[in-house]
Amino acid sequence: MNQISRRGVLLGSLAIPMLGVGRMASAEGGEVTISHYFTGELGMKAFNEQVAKFTAATGIAMKDSPVGHEDFKTDILVRAAGNSLPDVFSYWAGARVQFIVDSNALAPIDDMWVANGLDAVIAKPVADSATLYNGKRYLVPFNYHYAGMFYNVKVLADAGMTAAPKTWDEFLALCEALKAKGVAPIALGSKNRWPAQFWFDYLLLRTAGPDYRAKLMSGVAKYSDPEVAAALAMWKDLFDKGYFVENANADDWTDASDKVARGEAGMTLMGTWITGYWNGNGLVPAQDYDFFEFPKVKDGVPNAAVGPVDGLVTAANAANPEGAAKFLAFMVSDAGVQAAWANAQGALSANVNVDPASYNAVMQKAAATVAAAEAFAFNYDLATPPPVAEVGLSMFTRFIDDPSQAEAILAQVASDAEAAFKG
Amino acid sequence: MEQHNRFWRIALLAAPLAVFGVFVIWPLVSSFYYSVTDWNGFDPDYQFVGLSNFAKIASDRLFLQAAVNTSLWMAAAIVLPTSLGLLLALLLDSRVLGARVFKSIFYLPICLSAVIVGQIWTWIYQPDWGLLNTVITQVSGEKFKYAWLAKPDTALWSVIVAWSWQQTGLAMVIYLAGLTSIPGDLLEVAEIEGATQWQRFREVVLPLLAPSTVVVVALSVVNSLKGFDILYIMTGGGPFNSSETLAMHMYNESFKKYLMGYGAAISVVLFGVAMAIIGLYFRQLRKVDRIYG
Repeated sequence: MNQISRRGVLLGSLAIPMLGVGRMASAEGGEVTISHYFTGELGMKAFNEQVAKFTAATGIAMKDSPVGHEDFKTDILVRAAGNSLPDVFSYWAGARVQFIVDSNALAPIDDMWVANGLDAVIAKPVADSATLYNGKRYLVPFNYHYAGMFYNVKVLADAGMTAAPKTWDEFLALCEALKAKGVAPIALGSKNRWPAQFWFDYLLLRTAGPDYRAKLMSGVAKYSDPEVAAALAMWKDLFDKGYFVENANADDWTDASDKVARGEAGMTLMGTWITGYWNGNGLVPAQDYDFFEFPKVKDGVPNAAVGPVDGLVTAANAANPEGAAKFLAFMVSDAGVQAAWANAQGALSANVNVDPASYNAVMQKAAATVAAAEAFAFNYDLATPPPVAEVGLSMFTRFIDDPSQAEAILAQVASDAEAAFKG
Repeated sequence: MEQHNRFWRIALLAAPLAVFGVFVIWPLVSSFYYSVTDWNGFDPDYQFVGLSNFAKIASDRLFLQAAVNTSLWMAAAIVLPTSLGLLLALLLDSRVLGARVFKSIFYLPICLSAVIVGQIWTWIYQPDWGLLNTVITQVSGEKFKYAWLAKPDTALWSVIVAWSWQQTGLAMVIYLAGLTSIPGDLLEVAEIEGATQWQRFREVVLPLLAPSTVVVVALSVVNSLKGFDILYIMTGGGPFNSSETLAMHMYNESFKKYLMGYGAAISVVLFGVAMAIIGLYFRQLRKVDRIYG
């Protein structure tokens, strides 16, 4: 009796690794594994609905492992390090994809791209900027976003705004009017650092232009340049005038959005995903909230729009590359999927067959703004390599904590960024 | 028969040893290995870079700051829960009405996970509506909106307070157990000999609590070295790296900058520090064992 139980224990311990073998076997049975960051306020329910359409159309089952947006950045690295990347995963186009392409972790998708005629499906500016790395295509743009000045319609009307500010002076006048009304003009929630980046992006783009910024992002230009100092000085001016909410570093982006929604602050510089968040909280687009473009600062500087492109990529060692290719093609080509997803997430579709009329009024305006922009730039942490982005993101929060230290901060960042570029 | 037993002994030991080997020894050996490479986590083609990761540590300004923070963290993690735990144990050991209820309440935080404790204290420190600022506002009569966790001067200390709040209960329970083992007649003799209350505590109670103190301090040190989760939840090492400890710094370098090789080098240094502390602890433990047997 005694021996049987011991044998049982041993057999039991052997059975545990066998479960893993069983899992591997099932992965080979046609299903596609996927990991993504579309959770919580970023539309898990809507994403699952789109995935269900793919399964219904192709009979291929998807094995899903969603991870929260912030944690995803770590999670995907852990999976890569453990050599267990899912077949398909969501990732941010730009420097982050470039980094893992350079690390040989992704499979090129040129064949799939051609076979599905995606040149005729994906808007060319997005295809050119987001999908090509080292001469090959690696990513399908699942959706993209635009960062603009989102505001509370009632609060800005009360402060006397009749038309959106077009110039920097008009913008400053609006801030002053809001401040006089006792409302914090600008909400910012930079606890997770990235929400601060859009300020640096736009101030630099509007003063030094997209070409200079591209040089700074790739390490050709330096943080000790006068262009960077000038952009930071303008940002500092806004802090000195008391236009930002107190304790921005203590708030999350949703806290800042809530402050605008409640009317405690006038506006916030944020991506279009804020519309998904606000719609989910019962706000009505164009009626309760709207946006205007980041104002023009300097004549002769091309008007650039900033935003991220969310893409889907295939791992180099995907267990089911055929299934992964089918999934990528379906999710980006199917106009129904793209329209439903874009609306649920508060995003724009890169699929030219999606009727802009399917967007709400604010998103239609966003789509038109991007279309009219002379350049589209990825936001800071997607434009510069991840190790440098870490340096810059910390710089923004340190600056926000004490803008009077701008000079010292820039000196430090100049040397830290140079070291980070060298690796 | 003897042969048969030996087989079973080996067989049954094999399973836990395999688990230990796979989940403890292998990762340890791996981090030593990766610490001399430039692995970024994604790329299977990484290079051997010798000791350059360790050389980089010497010039890493953030590493130095993290080392200072780790020392502060450990010192506070030893002093605060230990002294507060002792104080609570002394208070509850004397006959206080409802001592049992108090014991349970003070012990409760240790039952919570660090993630929950971190979240509770994040709310307490919230600048607009958090408990702490609300109380200060009520007492001072002036709106107080200090962002405890978002300011570099207070972020680390705010987390230390939260950590101590949780750990004090553990120290208290160990000291309470230690207090029950102090013979009452010893204290009585001291009292008859004319010792004041302070003298009785200083000369009788405290020395007899030495074994408990060794356990409490050792647990505090070990727990503080492991204390990553609460910091991760409350500040993530921020604002701008000001509350980073070595463990947090290792995490940020590895997972945010994708410098896995460098992160492994930091972890090797951290391992060395932990081994040194554990070595000291065992030496101390042997000494106490010899005295109190």
